[in-house]
Amino acid sequence: MQLSMAVHKSFDTFTISTDFSVTGDCVGVFGVSGSGKSTLVSMLAGLVKPDSGEIVLDGDYLFSSAKKINLRPEKRRIAMVFQQHGLFPHLNVRNNLLYGYKRCPAEFRTINFDTLVAVLKLDELLHRGANNLSGGEKQRVALGRAILANPRLLLMDEPLSALDDTLRFQIIPYLRSVSEQFGIPYLFISHSLVEMRLMTDTVLAFDKGTMIGQTTGEQLARIRMGQSQIGYINLLELDSMTERAGMCAYHWKGGELLLSAGNRDTISGLFELSSKDIMLFKKHPEAISARNLLHCTVAGLFESASKIGVELKCGDGMLVAEIVPEAVRELEIEKDCLVYAAIKASAFRRLAAGMSHK
Amino acid sequence: MVLTDSDIQSIWLTIKLASVVTVVLLVLGTPVAWWLARSRSPLKGILGAVVALPLVLPPSVLGFYLLLAMGPDGPIGNLTRSLGIGALPFTFWGLVIASVFYSLPFMVQPLQNAFESIGDRPLEVAATLGASPLDAFFTVVLPLARPGFLTAAILTFAHTVGEFGVVLMIGGNIPGVSRVASVQIYDHVEALEYSQAHRMAAVMLIFSFVVLLSLYAWRPGSLKMVRKG
Repeated sequence: MQLSMAVHKSFDTFTISTDFSVTGDCVGVFGVSGSGKSTLVSMLAGLVKPDSGEIVLDGDYLFSSAKKINLRPEKRRIAMVFQQHGLFPHLNVRNNLLYGYKRCPAEFRTINFDTLVAVLKLDELLHRGANNLSGGEKQRVALGRAILANPRLLLMDEPLSALDDTLRFQIIPYLRSVSEQFGIPYLFISHSLVEMRLMTDTVLAFDKGTMIGQTTGEQLARIRMGQSQIGYINLLELDSMTERAGMCAYHWKGGELLLSAGNRDTISGLFELSSKDIMLFKKHPEAISARNLLHCTVAGLFESASKIGVELKCGDGMLVAEIVPEAVRELEIEKDCLVYAAIKASAFRRLAAGMSHK
Repeated sequence: MVLTDSDIQSIWLTIKLASVVTVVLLVLGTPVAWWLARSRSPLKGILGAVVALPLVLPPSVLGFYLLLAMGPDGPIGNLTRSLGIGALPFTFWGLVIASVFYSLPFMVQPLQNAFESIGDRPLEVAATLGASPLDAFFTVVLPLARPGFLTAAILTFAHTVGEFGVVLMIGGNIPGVSRVASVQIYDHVEALEYSQAHRMAAVMLIFSFVVLLSLYAWRPGSLKMVRKG
């Protein structure tokens, strides 16, 4: 997908003025609430008309004030998954799914109904009413309906924000299937850095109605580490859990990790670990309560709002620890030096069972 | 026989009038209600007030102006005469036109409320799934607004059945043409035929009660949609 937007739109108390070009199939739009990201995608979908400018998708003008072009939303072939699922309550799941499919010109119908139902695991829901579904099921149906419209681009406007944490991470693999299995490029809108890292390759960062940078989710997470109360979130794929002395021992590519017993029901999955929960030692510490002590090499350091992020290479795994500049000076931490990283067994939080990082 | 032939004729005429008016208003009232629900035009307030006028106007005032408009020198009268239809006052179709104006808010206001309660989102979803505005209206808006349509149709029908002042001004009292049930009761009372008036009034009372009961039982609060004039 190649998208360029140079648009201006004024509201009573808010103005969006942005100019960017982006190439990629998994693009994120990141910003805090009120930064203008939802308005931006509404303009892209044709639901909001810009005051001026132009929107070009894969060489086709969707909007151009100079050329007096403003393609109607139904002509753009840009489907959208909204924050609230937006299922039609008078239709059952099957008819909701088929709504866009029936309206898609035959030459663009490449996605098969049965394949979609199988991938999104919707077969048992087909005859249920839209109101008789759980939050996660509704969002899966909404996603399936948008995919079946066979769009040239799918916009996902904070599709996970109305779901609780458990559901959020259960849905992410289905959202990823949009590009991985159906080959539809998407624009993923969110204010969650973790979601950005799991869903996107390129991120457009928005603030106060304008784009402030184009980067990756990983870079953005590092840039914002120092400003965030929760620090940088390390995402770890853990597997092959075995019980040991009342704890859960997981295999990680950086070594074995011991987690608290509460994870006993998860053989493998994606876990998060805050950079603030990693303590560094220059020498091997004695008699510490932390159950994990990893011998790592410092692969690099970066600064973020008066905090220092220390990139740790542990075997084949990478971690980011957050320390203050004084600690860096005192411990003489620099690239390629060896350190010990202590992590409490209770510092890990399971995001989703059986899920992997993008 | 409980009811005379004349009574039955007037009841039949009333039902026919109410049915025709309900159908005509469903066709005419829907786009008006849709426009009122969706438009941001400054004219919206003016049209809304015009639609609501019959709720507060005395029926005789509305009837008087409609009579002038349909008369030989009125705009509607001139139009019907040039079309070769002839004069409308004191005809069934004159009664239909008058009733359409008189019952307009009972159709438009519940529909407008129903359309407004649907909001923008279902239409936006339909558009991004490839539906044109007309397609979205028939496949999304109409099904979602069905309770509003039922409420509007029942209220319009019931209100037309209960008309008296406007009917008398426009239709007069012609058996089989414009003598509806309410006028028939009035006739019975004038002629001191109280037992006949009682029977007709009881039929009207029971009918109205059943209509409203079914509306309340089916959808409590639906009458809040219309301010009683």
